[in-house]
Amino acid sequence: MDFDLIRNLGIGFGVALSLQNLMYSFVGVLLGTLIGVLPGIGPVATIAMLLPVTFNLSPISALIMLAGIYYGAQYGGSTTAILVNLPGESSSVVTCLDGYQMARQGRAGPALAISAMGSFFAGSVATVVIALFAPPLAEVALKFGPAEYFSLMVLGLVSATVLAHGSLLKAIAMTLLGLLLGLIGTDVNSGIARFSFGLPELSDGIGFVIVAMGLFGFAEIVINLERGAAREVFVNKVTGLMPTWKDLKDSSGAILRGTALGSMLGILPGGGALLSSFAAYTLEKKIGDTSKFGKGEIRGVAAPESANNAGAQTSFIPLLTLGIPSNPVMALMIGALMIQGIAPGPQVMTERPELFWGIIASMWIGNLMLVILNLPLIGIWVKLLTVPYRLLYPSILLFMCVGVYSLSNQPFDVLLTALFGLLGYVFVKLECEPAPLILGFILGPLMEENLRRAMLLSRGDATVFFTKPISGVLLGVAIVLLLVTLAPAVRKTREVAFEE
Amino acid sequence: MKVKNGKDFWAGLMFAGFGLGFMLVSFNYPMGSALRMGPAYFPTVLGGLLALLGGFVFFRAFVSKFEHPFKVFPFRLPLLIATLLVGGGAYFADSWFKGAPMVQYALAALALALFIGAFGPRSMFLVLLAVVIFGYALKPLGLVLATALLIVLSAVAGHDFRNKEIVILTIVLALFGVLVFVKGLGLPFNLWPGE
Repeated sequence: MDFDLIRNLGIGFGVALSLQNLMYSFVGVLLGTLIGVLPGIGPVATIAMLLPVTFNLSPISALIMLAGIYYGAQYGGSTTAILVNLPGESSSVVTCLDGYQMARQGRAGPALAISAMGSFFAGSVATVVIALFAPPLAEVALKFGPAEYFSLMVLGLVSATVLAHGSLLKAIAMTLLGLLLGLIGTDVNSGIARFSFGLPELSDGIGFVIVAMGLFGFAEIVINLERGAAREVFVNKVTGLMPTWKDLKDSSGAILRGTALGSMLGILPGGGALLSSFAAYTLEKKIGDTSKFGKGEIRGVAAPESANNAGAQTSFIPLLTLGIPSNPVMALMIGALMIQGIAPGPQVMTERPELFWGIIASMWIGNLMLVILNLPLIGIWVKLLTVPYRLLYPSILLFMCVGVYSLSNQPFDVLLTALFGLLGYVFVKLECEPAPLILGFILGPLMEENLRRAMLLSRGDATVFFTKPISGVLLGVAIVLLLVTLAPAVRKTREVAFEE
Repeated sequence: MKVKNGKDFWAGLMFAGFGLGFMLVSFNYPMGSALRMGPAYFPTVLGGLLALLGGFVFFRAFVSKFEHPFKVFPFRLPLLIATLLVGGGAYFADSWFKGAPMVQYALAALALALFIGAFGPRSMFLVLLAVVIFGYALKPLGLVLATALLIVLSAVAGHDFRNKEIVILTIVLALFGVLVFVKGLGLPFNLWPGE
């Protein structure tokens, strides 16, 4: 087993270290950092825009580049959070709390350095975690039938719901709405175009990119314009980069805890970078001396930044082993695999080992590049932040429009995206978190197909989901999770916590 | 009865509306049985659940602990009513104006514009309009002019519009688009009208 691991990693590094793949990895992390630094454009929009382009690349180069964008964005997002008090990336929201305070005290340099170091450490650990845990998981996954897949997806949706912000009822409703929207288009079994209102453009279903771009991209610009956010940039205050020994000592524990938590939460369906950073910050606030939190505590930067990077990477595990995306970015990765004619699932690891291990090895290499990119080049990223928003948002709009249009060269897609932008605005105003909707949208057709197959195999006996051991356990966990969250005591603290 | 939580009130209505809508449309498709599920089975169940949850959220708005004003976002009822009227017209235009599909398209586009205008602030209306115009102008007008339209219209939506800046931004982005999107990434856009 251990020998296998070393041999496999050898294959991976062999692939990832080829000149071409090194170049694509570099392009990916550079782009990722760039869009991570810029608020208002995230990895979803960027990957969506590049998806049609990857058609011309080899599968491994395409995935290496796209993965680089995702974890590169985690590095870039922290820069904006610390210097501008704006999350450049949604997973850096909590980094703003203490990172910005450090910047105001003239300690922006150490904050940036610690977040880069923590991210690199977390990225390295997460790479090993994937290498260790993905193969056994894939073996289990090979035994999965339709009933198991259905129950796994239920668990994924339940955890996404439980972990969403705000009201649980609304989160469940958003999941259901997402599942329903995912069903739009031609039904595979009967060939009937459902909910298409006779429009041929809808008979293939709504593209995932359209939903994500509208709900996240357009809606964010609309909200920003309505608020008219003012920004204060600490451009001149980045002087000494090196943290003191005390900083390192203070933050080492936080980095370790953040990494561990992030690695675990990334694997969860519905998890990923965003959830990991929130959880790590909350955990850190409960440990040791908590008096300095919110006033420039370095642990409040180290923990979430390590966690989001670890989570971003380990969220590849469910994708690569089960073929199930745990968050919007992973759903785009499935799209990238499909473009290349590769069906995601447990067979990828055995049939295309160079692909699987190459991606893993490229992650470590990419993280190394990111540390090198981020620390010395910080001045360039800071310059970018001085571009005023009134110039930034028309540019972002153009990129998003081109990205959507180039999916299938249809103006109708742009129109649909605008409608989802409107819906996204309404969701924000009504405090309905869009993340569960997106997950439901991705899983909708998969769930229906597996439900149908499972019911057909069991001759219409619905108890099969509970009597099959793996499926039963998965559903059991989902039910317990839901009941615990619904319990009055937990619910009360949860609602109060999110209302603050 | 007084609405305590405006956000719950509207969210409940929205969810219930979506749930009932999906259920209603599903009636057009065969239901099947639990053993052999038809195309209507899954959406009917999900739509029913969604409508139920929407009802819960709606009623919660009257007893909620959290107070939010009833008016959550700018909302213009006359425009929404106009949307429904024009949209209905577009739906039946097919049989009224036989052989003139343009009438139907024009009515549908108008209904959509009215709908977007019925919610939210002015800036959103302009931004989304700019986006839609870009989408439909890209092919007939070419990338350069469509980009100019998008940038200028969306910049109008902002708080301070500076003529000189916008002109420069438009030129820079049009150039960037031509070089990166068309020459670099090889996207199949024509640059000018009628190419």
